[in-house]
Parts: sequence; structure tokens; C-alpha cells
Amino acid sequence: MGLLAVFLYAVWPWLPGQRGTSRTVIVYGFSILGEVMNSRIFPAFQAEWQKQTGEHIEMVSAFAGSGTVTHQIKMGVPAQLAILATGLDAKTLIDERLATLEGLPEHGVVNRTPFVILTRPGNPRGIRDFADLAEQEVAIVHPDPLTSGGAQWAVLAEYASALYTGGSPEQAGQRLEKIWRHVVSQASSAQSARTQFNSGLGDALVTYEQDLLRDARAGRLEGEIVYPVSTILSEHTVVVIPRNVSLQDRPLVDAFAQFLWSARAQELFAEAGFRSVDERYNLSFRAIEKPFTIDDLGGWPRARTEIIEAIWQNKVLAVLGK
Amino acid sequence: MKDYRIPVGLLLSSLLPLLLMPLMAIFLFAGKGGPTHFLQALGSPDAQFALRFSLLIAFATSLINAVLGTFAAYVLSKYRFPGREALLVVVNLPVAIPTVVVGTSLILLWGPIGLLGKYLDPMGIRPMFAPAGVLLAHLFVTFPYMLGAVKPVLDEQEGGYEEAAYTMGASPWQTFRFVLLPTLRGGLLSGTLLTFAHSLGEFGATVMVSGNLRLRTQTAPLFIFAQFEAGNIEVANAVASVLAVISFLLFFGLLRFAGKER
Repeated sequence: MGLLAVFLYAVWPWLPGQRGTSRTVIVYGFSILGEVMNSRIFPAFQAEWQKQTGEHIEMVSAFAGSGTVTHQIKMGVPAQLAILATGLDAKTLIDERLATLEGLPEHGVVNRTPFVILTRPGNPRGIRDFADLAEQEVAIVHPDPLTSGGAQWAVLAEYASALYTGGSPEQAGQRLEKIWRHVVSQASSAQSARTQFNSGLGDALVTYEQDLLRDARAGRLEGEIVYPVSTILSEHTVVVIPRNVSLQDRPLVDAFAQFLWSARAQELFAEAGFRSVDERYNLSFRAIEKPFTIDDLGGWPRARTEIIEAIWQNKVLAVLGK
Repeated sequence: MKDYRIPVGLLLSSLLPLLLMPLMAIFLFAGKGGPTHFLQALGSPDAQFALRFSLLIAFATSLINAVLGTFAAYVLSKYRFPGREALLVVVNLPVAIPTVVVGTSLILLWGPIGLLGKYLDPMGIRPMFAPAGVLLAHLFVTFPYMLGAVKPVLDEQEGGYEEAAYTMGASPWQTFRFVLLPTLRGGLLSGTLLTFAHSLGEFGATVMVSGNLRLRTQTAPLFIFAQFEAGNIEVANAVASVLAVISFLLFFGLLRFAGKER
């Protein structure tokens, strides 16, 4: 009897007459996007599509680290649209002719978030900038740039912030090396670095502003957000995977892609702590004195070879013997 | 009755930190936000889908492996053929291989760019990142359980009854159905249970082959992990506690059923 009940419960939605088949949009995204997409963006688009066409559609999604998503797409997951943490991941897919930016606004960049420092409540070590992470004896929790997209942004922020505050490339290299002398833990993703910091490790964490704002707005942020004088704004890139979009689904997927840049969606992103690509929605965010983007560093391929590989990997790591 | 207080007390106190307290923790954290929160967490379409999908896969896996595993046990126990020993080792391997490796190899075989998958893909057959892929992974991972439960029973049987059946003109199928099968009840039951339980909790292979798509291929353990990652520990534990209760009830019911049979 019990067994039968469990079985009936399990098959219920698939029994005839329980639900019509509706079309789906399959979205893959990097981890910190999961919450805002599932609870805000998807319902908003479903409502809008229903209003326009009368058709009910379903949104199917999966969220993981940006590198993982990129690799999954190479392995052939049915993603129709993906949102990646770095333009580099997008570029890998585009170079392999798996994805395209065609027809997307802003070269596919859908929102941004600056890299900031999280300290313990009350900021007991008096950390004010990346420079303090280099000059003071602090214990830093950092995600690992080899596996984490967020960590790569963080390395670029730490290095180039010195350039944007009047330093020479030598001084920037020294800053990066000193900061990394203080790194006590390299977690595999931004999310797990945050978990380590929350469980009591270290004095400071370098991470996405959005992740912290989300918690602050929910009233559960333990610690203080420190805005560096100069930092990078990470850019999150949308790509469409044409292989997985049939001819009749193309208008639906395109409509969803365009919806991501609509006033409604940008507003929802901003409410969730992402900075909009449209400055009108960013009034509630704290201004950063000297912000810069990946384009200011010559684009991802260049930043990757000249900063992450040539300086962080070959010089800093080599000196520290990590 | 022998005095059981000391041995049982010792057993319970050693199991407390290892088994019982972690199990209690699931329920404690699941209920932390109060009953409304708990029901809300469970009632979400994602959670409902994940639970149902996990149960369906577990039922299908148990059914298929019950038949296939029993057949394998029968052949390996009753026939002597070249390569039998090697086959015996191979069919037991799935328990020893890391499940993530199982997932990867399934993708490299059946995936859209896989060894066989690339020929199936143009025909529109894509088992990976779909429910079929999850089922394939679970069949693989749980295969040895049925075999392990049924084969020892078959091995121990005296050949006498079978031979008697044959001399009376029974076919191999009739012999199996009326002579062997009734003795296998206990083995079948425990094998199916282990298969079901393992399938319900499978993570490593599933996360690879499913594509982790919510409302499509996300099983309950994947849902739980996703919620943990997002910091929604109460939601994760709500679903975890339901899985624990279902497993407990199934085991309990089937054990009692088995007790009556004996």
C-alpha cells in the first residue's frame, strides 16, 4: 500500500491529462546568477510572453561555475542560452563555433559587478583599499584563479588598481605579489571562498559586490564591505547556442535574450545587486572612484596572457612557491 | 532472554556520533524556519519535481536491475564457461569506480560528441543530459547490488531440486519460475531495496550526465546540493528530510513484509 502511494505520487504529473506540453527555454548560467534568474527574471519573462502571445512557456535552467558551464556546453548539454562569468569563457565557445553574440545588445554584456573587499564586522584591521591588503599583515581568503572565473577578475582588480592609482607596472606587480603573500586559502570557487570566510577563516575576502549586497539587503551580511579606490567591474556575457535552437524556437529564444536588456529585467538585476549596463538603474549603488573594465586592459585575451599568466602565474606564484 | 542492556548500550553510544546524530541534524535544520517555511520549501515546483523524478528513476532502476541482475546471477551461478571469472569481476566493478568517472565515461560514450553518441545525434537520439542518461547512470552504478544479493543464494542451492525438475520435463524457464524463484525472495527483496536506496541518493554520476537541469533532469540530491550552494540550507534539509523519511518507511515496510514471509 505504502509503496503504491509513493509510486502514485511520483508518476502523478506524468499521468495523462495532468499537464499540456509547453515549450521550454533552456538556460545555463554561472553560479551567483541562479537566485535572481529563477525567482525574478524567469517569472517576469513568462508573464510577458504570455501577455504578448497567450502561450505558456517553461524555463529550464542549470547553474554552476562559469568554467563548468563552458565545459558542459562543449560536451553537448542542451543549453540554448548561457550567461558566463567572463568574456573569456564566451570567447572560447565562440571560437569553437558553438556560441554566438549575434544580435545581442552591448556585445552580450548583460550586467556588471565590481570586485570589493569583505572584512570582519567593524573592520578591525582598518582595511581601506587593495593597497592595505598588500602592506598590512592580514590573512586573505581568495578563490583560485585556476578554477574560478571570479578569482581571475579579482587578480586583475588587485594588479590593475595599482596602475589606475598612479603606479607603474613594476609597482602593480609588487602589489599583486604582496597581496598573494597574505593569501591563506585558495578555494575552488568564489562561493566556497565565501563559505570559508564565513566559517571564520581570514581577515579579508576579495569577492563580487553583488554577492555581498544580496546578503546585506536580506539583513544577513556579517562583515563590512570595503570599496577600493580603484577596482574592476566584472562583466557577465550572454551567448546563444544556435545548435540547440530549432527554427521554430528561434523567435522565443531571441525574445528571451532581448528581454534580458529590457527595462524590467535590468531593474530586477539591479534590485538583486547587479549593476545595470544602463546607468539609470545604478543610482542606488555606491560610486567607485576609479573604476575600470576589461576593455581598458586591452580585452580578455590580452589580460589573460599579460597579467594572469605572465605576471600572476609565472612571477607571483613562482616567487611564492605556491 | 539474555541481558541486552550492555551490548545494545555500547552499540547505540558508538552509533550516536556516527549515524544517529547526523540523521537528527537533517531534521533539526529542516525544521529551523518553522512548519510554514518547511512546507513552502517542499511545495516549490522545483522541489516537487526533484522528489518525483528521483523516485521514478529509483523505481525504474530497481525494476530493470532486478530482472537484469537476477538473470546475470543465474547465468554466472549455474553455468561454467570460459571467461566466467573475468566477467564476475567486471560486473562487480561499478561499486569500486568513482561515480564521477562513471558519469564522464557515459558522456564520452553516449554524449553528442561521444563515441556512439555522435552517430545517434543526427538521428535526434540524445540520451545524455536527459532522463534516459540519468537512468543509464543509475543502472550502471547499482548493478552489483542485485547480483550480490541473489548470486550467493543461488550458489548455495543444492542442484537436486533443479535436476528433479528437469527430469520431470520442466523447461529452464519453468525450473527457474517454480523451483528457484521462490527461494530467492529474500535476496530479491534486499537487492531491490539496496538498488532503490542507492538510486535515490546517487549524486556523482548523476551530476555529470544529467546536465543538472531544474524541472527536467534535476534529481533530489542534485536539488539539495544546488540549494546548499546557494546558501538555502533549510530548503536543502527539507527535501533531505523527506528523502530520509521515504527511505525509512520503505525499508521498514519491506522488512516487516519480509518478516511475515519467513
